[in-house]
Amino acid sequence: MTRTHHLHPFTALTAAVGAAVVTTAAASWPLSAAVAVAAAILAVRGGVAGRVLSAAAVILVPLCLSLLVLHGLFFPEGHTVLAEWGPARVTAEGLEFALELGTRTTACVLVFLLFSFTVSVPDLLSALAARRIPPQFGFVLASTLTLLPAVAGRLDRIRQAQEARGMVVRGGLLSRMGTLRLQMVPLVLALMDDAGSRAQALDARGFGNAGPRTSYRDVADSTAQRRFRAAALVLTAAAVVARLVVSWPAGVTR
Amino acid sequence: MSKPALTVPAPGQAAGRSRRLLEIAGAAAIAATYVFLVLTQPADIANGPASFSALVALGGFLLGAVLLIIAVLPVLPTSTLVLIPVALVLNVVLGQLMGSTGLPFYIDAIGTVLIGVLAGPAAGAATGALSSIVWSFFNPTVLPFAAGAALIGFLAGMAARWGLFRRFYFVPIAGFVTGIIAGVISAPIAAFVFGGTSGLGTGAIVSAFRAMGDTLLAAITKQALISDPMDKAIVFTIAALLAYALPRRTTFQFPFVRRFRVLAGKSPAAPDA
Repeated sequence: MTRTHHLHPFTALTAAVGAAVVTTAAASWPLSAAVAVAAAILAVRGGVAGRVLSAAAVILVPLCLSLLVLHGLFFPEGHTVLAEWGPARVTAEGLEFALELGTRTTACVLVFLLFSFTVSVPDLLSALAARRIPPQFGFVLASTLTLLPAVAGRLDRIRQAQEARGMVVRGGLLSRMGTLRLQMVPLVLALMDDAGSRAQALDARGFGNAGPRTSYRDVADSTAQRRFRAAALVLTAAAVVARLVVSWPAGVTR
Repeated sequence: MSKPALTVPAPGQAAGRSRRLLEIAGAAAIAATYVFLVLTQPADIANGPASFSALVALGGFLLGAVLLIIAVLPVLPTSTLVLIPVALVLNVVLGQLMGSTGLPFYIDAIGTVLIGVLAGPAAGAATGALSSIVWSFFNPTVLPFAAGAALIGFLAGMAARWGLFRRFYFVPIAGFVTGIIAGVISAPIAAFVFGGTSGLGTGAIVSAFRAMGDTLLAAITKQALISDPMDKAIVFTIAALLAYALPRRTTFQFPFVRRFRVLAGKSPAAPDA
């Protein structure tokens, strides 16, 4: 699909984590905005812009609005008052704080969403299995990602079946809770029953056994990518250490 | 290669001890991070966007969550492990269903609590932390709250172990207490990493406390003390209702439920008196 397909999943993950951590450590809104824009450009070039940006908008719009209202209107630490209505004071410091945190969260969310929407999950799983990550982690990740769409379909079928038996999704709170129960109990029961049979099938295939795992998939890795990952980790660690040293609490409280 | 292993080797005593140490280290990392953040919270957040505290909060809480996962995950029986994806899906889907009723609560831990009740505190903690990590694939902002989610699963398991789920009226109380603890622990994440909460209702409560001159951490902690206990009481109640609605055959297949008599009533194998 894109060039990200040639990237080892860990390279993309390291880059995403590194970008997020460095952005957090740097604490400067121009850098955060630049990272966010870069992530958006990469998403457009990767052909996942629609999904990344819509998922990010759902998360970020309420958060940023809330930050703007909270710090824009109520920031007792602020000194430069721009406007005042009763208890609410618009201060320059408050707006700057909202801008800093808003851009920082935006950058981190975009970077991680770009990673999760471009990574090939099978590649990621075999890369995880090749490392000393417990195989159970890979199972939980893969199983959840495949279960989510299946459950949405199942819930739809349960709703239809209950509606065929006379369930009406309208009315007051109590009747709403009643219809909720009619849908939740069959869903939970069916999912747990499925899980039980899945556990038996997995155990029969030796899933619970200790020891190393092998994988059919071989994820291509290269020396350049290994070097990039090492460099990114060193850079990230340096950024964290620099931030910790610069603003160690003794220096903050003065 | 003198004796080929035909059976699965039993986990040794040393392995068990190191796992216990990892669990303790994980819990200690979370607790120490919280204490450190509260003691060193920047007196004047206007000086910068709390970058130092954000890094400490992220690092400490995620380290704790990862240690807990490493300690617990490999020893979970397969029957419990396959429930973790189910729990995560339930967290999401039931949360959305509850949202469709128009109630002003952010109910997103039903599956975690259910696993804690059925499979014990360790499984609950692992489920909570893993839920956050896997869910962050779609919403990265839940990742920093992994430690809080692990705590909710752990406390749900402890409540079940102490028999609080045997009587219906104890359940909301257990949820209320869990909400207080989990809300207070999660407050530094909301304050230092995100600088606020994302909901309009919660944001209004934080604004009110800020208007009275509280620091950001204090305002968000007070907001958490208002919304979280109620939210978790509802979550615990729903999880209990689900556990009661499940057939005995399903619930009593969990060793934890049998051993600690988590739910009132006899095992289905026992003859009815």
